[in-house]
Amino acid sequence: MTEEEKAAESKAVKMIVFAVGDQEYCIPILSVREIRGFEKTTVLPFAPPYVCGAINLRGIILTLIDLAIYLNVPPQADNPRRVVVIVESTQGVMCGLLVDRVIDMADIQGSDIQSVSDDCSSLGGLVMIGDRMIGVLQLESVVNQLVEGAVAE
Amino acid sequence: MSGDMGDILLVFFQECDEQLQELERGLSALSDGESEQETINAVFRAVHSIKGGAASFGLENLVRFAHVFESSLDGVRSGRVAPTQDIVKIFLKAMDVLSDLVVEARDGGPTVDPGRVAESQAELEFIIGSNGEAPKTDDIVPSDFVPVPMDFVPVPVDFEPVPVDFGLDFGFDAAPGQPPAPLIVTFCPHDAMYARGDDARNILIGLTDAAVAVEGEITVTCDVSTLPSFAELEPDRSYLSWRVVLPAEVSEDTVQSVFDWGGDVCDFTISREGEPAPDGGEAVPAMEAQPPGEGSQAAAPPEPALPAVPETSSSSGVAAAQVVPAASPAVAPAPAAGGANAAPVRRTEQATIRVDLPRIDNLMDLVGELVIAQAALESQCRRANASMPRELGESIASMQSLTRDIQDAVMAVRAQPVRSVFQRMQRVVREACSMTKKDVVLTLEGEDTEVDRTLVEKLSDPLTHMLRNAIDHGIEKVEDRLAAGKSAVGQILLSASHRSGHILITIKDDGGGINRERVLATAIKRGIVAPDAVLTDDEINNLIFAPGFSTADTVSNLSGRGVGMDVVKQAILSLGGRVTIQSVPGSGTVFCLSLPLTLAVLDGMLIVAGGATMVIPVSSVVETMIIKPQDTYVLPDGKKMVSIRGDCIPMVPLGSQLGLSAYVSDEPQNGAVMLIVENESGARVGLVVDEIRDQAHVVIKSMEKNYRRIPGVSAATILGDGSVSLILDAPALIASAVGRINTKVSDARAVLAA
Repeated sequence: MTEEEKAAESKAVKMIVFAVGDQEYCIPILSVREIRGFEKTTVLPFAPPYVCGAINLRGIILTLIDLAIYLNVPPQADNPRRVVVIVESTQGVMCGLLVDRVIDMADIQGSDIQSVSDDCSSLGGLVMIGDRMIGVLQLESVVNQLVEGAVAE
Repeated sequence: MSGDMGDILLVFFQECDEQLQELERGLSALSDGESEQETINAVFRAVHSIKGGAASFGLENLVRFAHVFESSLDGVRSGRVAPTQDIVKIFLKAMDVLSDLVVEARDGGPTVDPGRVAESQAELEFIIGSNGEAPKTDDIVPSDFVPVPMDFVPVPVDFEPVPVDFGLDFGFDAAPGQPPAPLIVTFCPHDAMYARGDDARNILIGLTDAAVAVEGEITVTCDVSTLPSFAELEPDRSYLSWRVVLPAEVSEDTVQSVFDWGGDVCDFTISREGEPAPDGGEAVPAMEAQPPGEGSQAAAPPEPALPAVPETSSSSGVAAAQVVPAASPAVAPAPAAGGANAAPVRRTEQATIRVDLPRIDNLMDLVGELVIAQAALESQCRRANASMPRELGESIASMQSLTRDIQDAVMAVRAQPVRSVFQRMQRVVREACSMTKKDVVLTLEGEDTEVDRTLVEKLSDPLTHMLRNAIDHGIEKVEDRLAAGKSAVGQILLSASHRSGHILITIKDDGGGINRERVLATAIKRGIVAPDAVLTDDEINNLIFAPGFSTADTVSNLSGRGVGMDVVKQAILSLGGRVTIQSVPGSGTVFCLSLPLTLAVLDGMLIVAGGATMVIPVSSVVETMIIKPQDTYVLPDGKKMVSIRGDCIPMVPLGSQLGLSAYVSDEPQNGAVMLIVENESGARVGLVVDEIRDQAHVVIKSMEKNYRRIPGVSAATILGDGSVSLILDAPALIASAVGRINTKVSDARAVLAA
């Protein structure tokens, strides 16, 4: 992954930090609906490789994104503790993010976010907590890619 | 317009729809020869409420027409005009105009042809004129009620008493031994009343109605003492107040209801003569403000205030002590009968609440989850404890039946009687009749049959098409009917009923039936069938559904363009239904539509392909069969065809078609199951699946809400074990499988033309 500079917002945002493979990422905690265990999914035809399939969340059908594949990170092998973070975008689209482990929460100042490349739109930037490097995931662009993929079919 | 006002307007239009339905129901009852006073009152009330609401929103056109309509109905209400068939027909026509005017006011859509309005208005005025009296409401009060700043002498306005027999009496008018004194009402409008477009005149009209209802009259005195000289007069201030003496028979409640509408913007007192008027003129504080809907309802002519209603004594102010709940012996029989009559009739009016559909959908989802959670609980209990205590088993079983009941109840909430659509068809028939100069009576049956809301809305177009066709093509001209020994008036029966989880709608006419020779000749001429084709009667009947088919020699406004019946069939098929025709030459045609009860639930076949369980709508599966190796043929490009009783159709391995073939070999094994699926135009494809597992009613869930469209998949559902399953889109699968040859593949009955 390339890491470059980019401007960002300045308010403190509470983020949830999770691990995918050996790397850590975070998303705003307000976009998280719930966290649940990984369960069997229904495979969807013609789906992009990072979509593991669809699950039923209390009557709502949503798709799971395997973040390891999406972010091109080698996943932890045989991790029984993989969890699904159910998120909702500002447009009300819901999906599940399959991650290896939820670590903790952190208050992150927008000014602390160091921008990375423009072409990697799903990653908004990097932030340092202590000596850990954490990627700030751009939820909206992930979700939009999921919904608008129909055009590409 | 502010958001608030928009909301109120929305409520008004929703109520207009309800009132129009009420009106339609009442008028059709009248045309069936029923002349119950309560029916006439209901009709009158409906028009009056629309007028009242429209007046407060300044919908000029609507008010003007509704007023004429109301005045003419008043003739019937008072018994001066008998509701003969001709009169009712005029009313029905007026109702159509009225509903168009409502639509015009709501959508700002196409303006109603002023000629039509004027014509209907003239007919209504003729009814008014025929009773020998001028339309009353307008003449009661001077039309210009603006305070005139000259020497204004209070003029008692002469209200002409119009005898109206309500067939009812108010049970509290004659307290034994103590006849009540005339009722005195004083009111003084605030500036706010005029500011919001209301008028003291409306209150006077309401009071007059109250008096007329008991065959009395009112005396009005206008108090101009606060009126300043012309120089100081501010045009937008309110200066006048009124004192109205009503007949003793009028109850306080009735008067109170007059003020429901404007009571919050005027001071008013209600008292009996001889009693001290409540001081300050604030006997009833301005807290009676009600939502406009209720208000306009309440402003309707006095409703039978049932004596037993406890409110009678609690809310009617000072004079309440005199109100004896039970009627005096002298008048007892009449009010008792009236009350008993009125009560059940009133109760049949729809008592409804409006709920947003998404809320019910949400409820539905939750109940679905409840069922799944319940099943999971049961299976876990069994697994953990093979010898499950009997009590536990019983409570789980009772919970199971409860959840099923809840599921059914939620489905029932979504259901709506087909009445709203059926009643609209009366209008379609009327219009079609006047265009074709035929006389047809539409009889409705089973309007109370309930189907899912979503479906009710989609029934309207196909039914309209079919009824127009029945009138244009089915019912013969009057001369032909008489020659055939039939009555001059055509009969069409539109009925709905439930049959084994479906709704069955039949349209039966007593016309000439389908002229099969002509249909066949036309079909051959238009190249729909080959000239030498041999078709059964049933196949010929079904030709009328072929695209581009029309036997009409001339294209009329109604039908004959050859779009229509094929559109109907498409519409019905897209709703997951089927159409069948039975026709007997000379005695009529019956169209039967069989439709699912809901669009939210689908009758599906559970199949397994490529390792995944999927659902295919049963309605698109024609047959299922085991593939025999000798029936298959491999094309040079690797695709396979299979012959079924002589027809060669493409064979599609479903798993690999959907890109799910990773789990199983690409080769369809011998003995695999094949589903023959058909699309609307009759193209067929054999879908090869691993297994047919079950048949189930599944709840349809959108895939596109949180994901994207998947080719070949129409939606998804949740199975009993909580897992997600895809619902296949058979027409899309067929289209992608047969591609360009789609149009060439046709079934046996429509033999290829070339």
